[in-house]
Amino acid sequence: MVTIVLPTGWTGGRTEFEGTAGLLPEVIRRFADSHPEYRRRLLGPETELLRYINYCVDDDLVPRHARSETTVPAGSTVTVIAPMAGG
Amino acid sequence: MSETLRVPATTYLQGSPPWLLDWLEEEDQPLPRLWFADETPQTEQQVQGFEIDRCPVTVGEFAEFADSTGYRTDAERHGYGLVYTDTWVECPGASWRAPGGPGTRTDGYEDHPVVHVSFPDANAYAGWAGKRLPTEAEWELAARGTRFRIWPWGDQWDGSSANTAETYAGPLTSLEEWRKWWLAAVERSGPMPRTTPVGTFAGRGDSAFGCVDMAGNVYEWTATPSGLYAGATACDPSVRMALGRYRVMRGGSWMNFRYQVRCAERIHGDPSGWSSFAVGFRCAKDAQSE
Repeated sequence: MVTIVLPTGWTGGRTEFEGTAGLLPEVIRRFADSHPEYRRRLLGPETELLRYINYCVDDDLVPRHARSETTVPAGSTVTVIAPMAGG
Repeated sequence: MSETLRVPATTYLQGSPPWLLDWLEEEDQPLPRLWFADETPQTEQQVQGFEIDRCPVTVGEFAEFADSTGYRTDAERHGYGLVYTDTWVECPGASWRAPGGPGTRTDGYEDHPVVHVSFPDANAYAGWAGKRLPTEAEWELAARGTRFRIWPWGDQWDGSSANTAETYAGPLTSLEEWRKWWLAAVERSGPMPRTTPVGTFAGRGDSAFGCVDMAGNVYEWTATPSGLYAGATACDPSVRMALGRYRVMRGGSWMNFRYQVRCAERIHGDPSGWSSFAVGFRCAKDAQSE
């Protein structure tokens, strides 16, 4: 199990959700499948990760070029950061 | 080039007092208290004298820069900019030259604030102009002066003093109302940014130091890395991960409610090349010695 953190502004309050470990794009796709209300905020039409969304795995920001090879281990936290955060 | 206004050196309390968050919580607006916590606690700031542009940089001014230097923005080089249709989309071909995407133009928009400028784009323009981006502390001081006020003109909302979503939709209290307005606007005339010529609200909307468009019109980049005023402040966990990585943007935009165009409102922008059709900037420079 992993924890997926979304901005409060997306959810209206709740920030933490459960996900499953694996490669980052797969973690996000599975999360979007189980929470379709966030799908278009996370994925493009070909289910690709939207380029402008940033991801941290635990405390590390994942570079865009490294997303497809980044593994999200069990027990870790993926934080979704919009290009405009807060507000 | 834009008129600059001088702001003398001073000390002031940056950020929002506790009662402001109480007020936000009581108001009929959709965002939780935690969302605004990053603008507290108030923190004393010593600011050296500086000059700041009266207006955001316009399409015409940016065109002069691009024409004379050959500069291509991040959106032009990447081939897309962010536009909101029924959600944020990576719109191929959207840039400051085509702010609503392919087929849209900036004819007639020369005196509107430029949009689709990334943090590097804004810095490139400022360097060319012999200026720099304002710091966050300079921006807030220029917007409201040393005495706290909610909006540049005072503590009472005045919809005729700023270009916000409420200019078009009337008073907004929910995201659903906002969405209804915007989808109808896109249906009528496409996803063009609803910017207004800089200075449209001059006079009524002037800031404490005479700047215009510091509430609404376009979000404005500042030079300041995102951080909390006090490290222990509880804030949105996604915002927390942006701290130290993003840059502060100020002023809100034509897309926002009245609550997002307050002088102390902070939003944090990814400085790595991202831009959107609601983001612009103004410049500042150190005060000339007399």
